[in-house]
Amino acid sequence: MEIKSGNEVQFRQVYNELFPVLMKVAYHITYNQDVAEDICQDAFIRFYDKDMVFPSMDDSKFWLIRVVKNLALNHVKKKARENASIEKIKKVPMAALNPFRDGASELLLQESQQTVRKAVAQLPDIYRTVIVLKEYAGLDYRQIGKVLGISESNVKVRVHRARKDLEVYLNREEVNVP
Amino acid sequence: MCLDDQILNTYLDGELEEPWKSQVEEHLSYCTSCKIRYNSLKKLRDTVKSAALTQEEIQGSQDRVLAMLEKNYLNKPAKKKFMGKEIKFTVPQFMGVAAAFVIVFAGALSLFGNRSASSIPLPDVNSSINLENITPVKATETSVTKKTLDDFTLDEILKYLDGKGYSVDIHLKSIQPIDPAVEETVVVEEPVAEETVVEVVE
Repeated sequence: MEIKSGNEVQFRQVYNELFPVLMKVAYHITYNQDVAEDICQDAFIRFYDKDMVFPSMDDSKFWLIRVVKNLALNHVKKKARENASIEKIKKVPMAALNPFRDGASELLLQESQQTVRKAVAQLPDIYRTVIVLKEYAGLDYRQIGKVLGISESNVKVRVHRARKDLEVYLNREEVNVP
Repeated sequence: MCLDDQILNTYLDGELEEPWKSQVEEHLSYCTSCKIRYNSLKKLRDTVKSAALTQEEIQGSQDRVLAMLEKNYLNKPAKKKFMGKEIKFTVPQFMGVAAAFVIVFAGALSLFGNRSASSIPLPDVNSSINLENITPVKATETSVTKKTLDDFTLDEILKYLDGKGYSVDIHLKSIQPIDPAVEETVVVEEPVAEETVVEVVE
């Protein structure tokens, strides 16, 4: 089915179907829900404003995922630059923030979720993007290749290396947990 | 020959094609060590997947963004607007506005424009400036080129003020000088200011 992004009825259809996927992609790259929300909003505004025609729902999905992925990676890079330049200033408030805010009430599930999210966050961009698209956006190798503009076998290799990294990180974390 | 992680991962993702898929299945049916490895890779994948943002976490954002889009985009005709108001100009009106701008700028230039003509690099100092009111700011690498009052010696400042026709009288605050020549060393409290800056940075 052809999708006209400036058509309100079709726009709503795309929005309802794709917002959760885009939100997951944005969130699992930035790990900040407010930022992820802004990024999705930005992507949908562009989508609507540009009034484009896509041959299918999948094509509009790939376009939106690509936009969200790029915005999210840009945010992460910008954030890293800012953090580097204000490192000295940041040290003080960071030390003042106590990690025991949620105290003992934090559930085990949440803890393991946090650990996994940290593990994903520490992956290099090229592996993180692939693993986010695979596990959180539910794309297959061919679709990931299409979004990222790389070959399927390249996707295969990146998924494998990303999982290797994640395994090492998660095993180390488990050992370190008291 | 056992299976490596990459093949197992590809199989796990359902991306392995025939005939390799059947071969891997057959191998897994009798090789315990590969089966164990496969299960641990599956567990890793499931753990990573389980950390996904949930629909409950997403719903709030989804509603908020839709409300914003409906308010600002979906229910509006596609007109270019500025600050919520549609702007229409006839040509004479536009000329009038342009002329007003020119008059304002020209007026401002004629009033304040020749201030920059002064070629003396010293800062503007007039009688209302009291040295005690000036807070010394620590110069950083980026602002080296910008001269402040601290960059000039007392002697230079006095000479400049003298040149401008001011008569300057300097008194020591609390200490009685034994020798009049000591006067010069006291006025600007630079070392104290340096210390306070260092404290803030730490």
